[in-house]
Amino acid sequence: MTTKELIRKIFFVEIFKGMALTFSRLFTHAVTRRYPHKIRRPAQPGFRGLHAWSGERCVGCKLCAGICPSQCIYIATETDKETKKLVVKKYDIEVLRCLFCSFCVEACPEGALALTEHYEYADYSREALYMTMEKLQANWDKYMAGKVEDYFKRFWGPRPEDFSTPEEQAVFRGRK
Amino acid sequence: MEEISRNQPPSDIRIAPELHTREITLNMGPQHPATHGVLRLVLELDGETIVKCTPYVGYLHRGTEKLGENRTYLSALPLTDRLDYVSSMNNNIGYVVAVERLLGIEPPERAKFIRTMVAEMGRISNHLLWLGTHALDIGAITPFLYVFRERERIMDLFEELCGARLTVSYPRIGGVRNDVSQKFLDDLYAFTEEFPGRIDEYETLLTVNRIWLRRTKGVGVIPAEEAINWGLTGPVLRGSGVRYDIRKFAPYDAYDKVEFEIPIGYNGDVYDRYMVRIIEMGQANRIIRQCIEKLPKGPITIDSPFTLPPKGSLSRRDKERFNKDYYSRHFVLAKSGPKEAPQGEIYVATEVPKGELGFYFISDGTGRPYRMRIRAPSFVHASALPRLCEGGLVADVISNIGSIDIVLGECDR
Ligand code: SF4
Ligand code: SF4
Repeated sequence: MTTKELIRKIFFVEIFKGMALTFSRLFTHAVTRRYPHKIRRPAQPGFRGLHAWSGERCVGCKLCAGICPSQCIYIATETDKETKKLVVKKYDIEVLRCLFCSFCVEACPEGALALTEHYEYADYSREALYMTMEKLQANWDKYMAGKVEDYFKRFWGPRPEDFSTPEEQAVFRGRK
Repeated sequence: MEEISRNQPPSDIRIAPELHTREITLNMGPQHPATHGVLRLVLELDGETIVKCTPYVGYLHRGTEKLGENRTYLSALPLTDRLDYVSSMNNNIGYVVAVERLLGIEPPERAKFIRTMVAEMGRISNHLLWLGTHALDIGAITPFLYVFRERERIMDLFEELCGARLTVSYPRIGGVRNDVSQKFLDDLYAFTEEFPGRIDEYETLLTVNRIWLRRTKGVGVIPAEEAINWGLTGPVLRGSGVRYDIRKFAPYDAYDKVEFEIPIGYNGDVYDRYMVRIIEMGQANRIIRQCIEKLPKGPITIDSPFTLPPKGSLSRRDKERFNKDYYSRHFVLAKSGPKEAPQGEIYVATEVPKGELGFYFISDGTGRPYRMRIRAPSFVHASALPRLCEGGLVADVISNIGSIDIVLGECDR
């Protein structure tokens, strides 16, 4: 052991260095947040939260139910005798079993399904998280109002631009 | 080696012949906070020395392999998020790379760079969580919040990238889900500029701290040859001094286009594994920077029979753009998976933060795998726990569990 090491050992140099670092952190911002009392951060655009569904847009093709990895979308359709069109009779999503993978949104050819930015929907009962047609439609009206066009333009993958090279693609712009 | 001899029972204690000692059996887990999940260890103790250690796994078994066989190649992807939920991005990429090799498709260059970049973000976030909990188990509480400060930023970046923080499901077969935004790239670059300073902070707190050294040096030693025989991979193997990293020796994605070094240890003890991971974080940071700097322009997903076609060409109401071929392809893929999947078997391994994650598929030509087997590094590492713990002290069991970095979601699958 060299003298330098000995001095370090006797005077607890490394311990004091660590302490100094800890002490200096006393004067920086707190890294923890007091959720939910103080700060409720809004989710970023495109966040995969609670489902919303539009009865107007849905054509009843059942592709969303087909691709869903956890098989938690239940659809029942019926052909209208007069107009010969499919009518969606039942459209339920069991949110407790959902993985929030957004595959259903990508599978939907009509853009009738979206994952909204709403993420605080914890509840005490299972029924409250079993989304029926009406609840999903209400979600659509509440959280997607005025955002529909923008949402599907940006988050309905794969978009046509993803197969080519658009002008405004993000690249490294150098150091700030 | 003074530290090693500490593990042996003291030899100068004499026991009177009429007195008997008895080994006691201690159950550790499955709900012990230091077992990082639901691992149960049955320890047979002679005083404070461990005579026998038997790990029991399976408390978190969800049948992921079987579930994968009942899903199409496309929709089994989110299951891999739940294997190693700490670094779900890397699991996703491992799965996607394996399926791509099976189907014989190649993602575009830009997608490869994006994947490499986010995989290294996943590696950093995994190592940060490992560092925090490992240090917390051993008794250093300070780094815990420090690492969460940085991890939170990576989580926020993931959220900005793909809308989910933990279970990302970001890569797709033949590309990635969506393109990176300019804001994301700038934020990530800013993060990589300050991250090396953060690593220095953790090192100030731990690397030379005498308590940390006493708790980690010479504990859980496994020599290189034995480490290979036990099938250890990743930082645990490299801590024993074996230069083995799949990113270097069988590069996938863009790893052959970036420069990085593989850190290796000498003694194969807990401290060396710690150092390997610390240096790996710095190297991951380096890879991210290179990926951002070299990120080429181009498509992010390929147009093949195995990938979902562009939206907008599918809506039957929009008669102008409606494309019948695309519609039928989309329908088949969403309902029953890729139809023309080649028959055969394939094993593809990727380097996840914990070691070698391998996917083995037997394909019978349908849209679903006939057999999906997952080679999970945590499972192999957990099997080596008796080798690491036996002969050591009870207190060192916790350092050993921490140092092999297991996640039970992956171990039990
Ligand atoms: S987000 Fe995924 S798991 Fe949830 S309903 Fe849609 S496809 Fe199913
Ligand atoms: S995929 Fe879209 S249009 Fe088809 S049933 Fe589902 S929500 Fe309706």
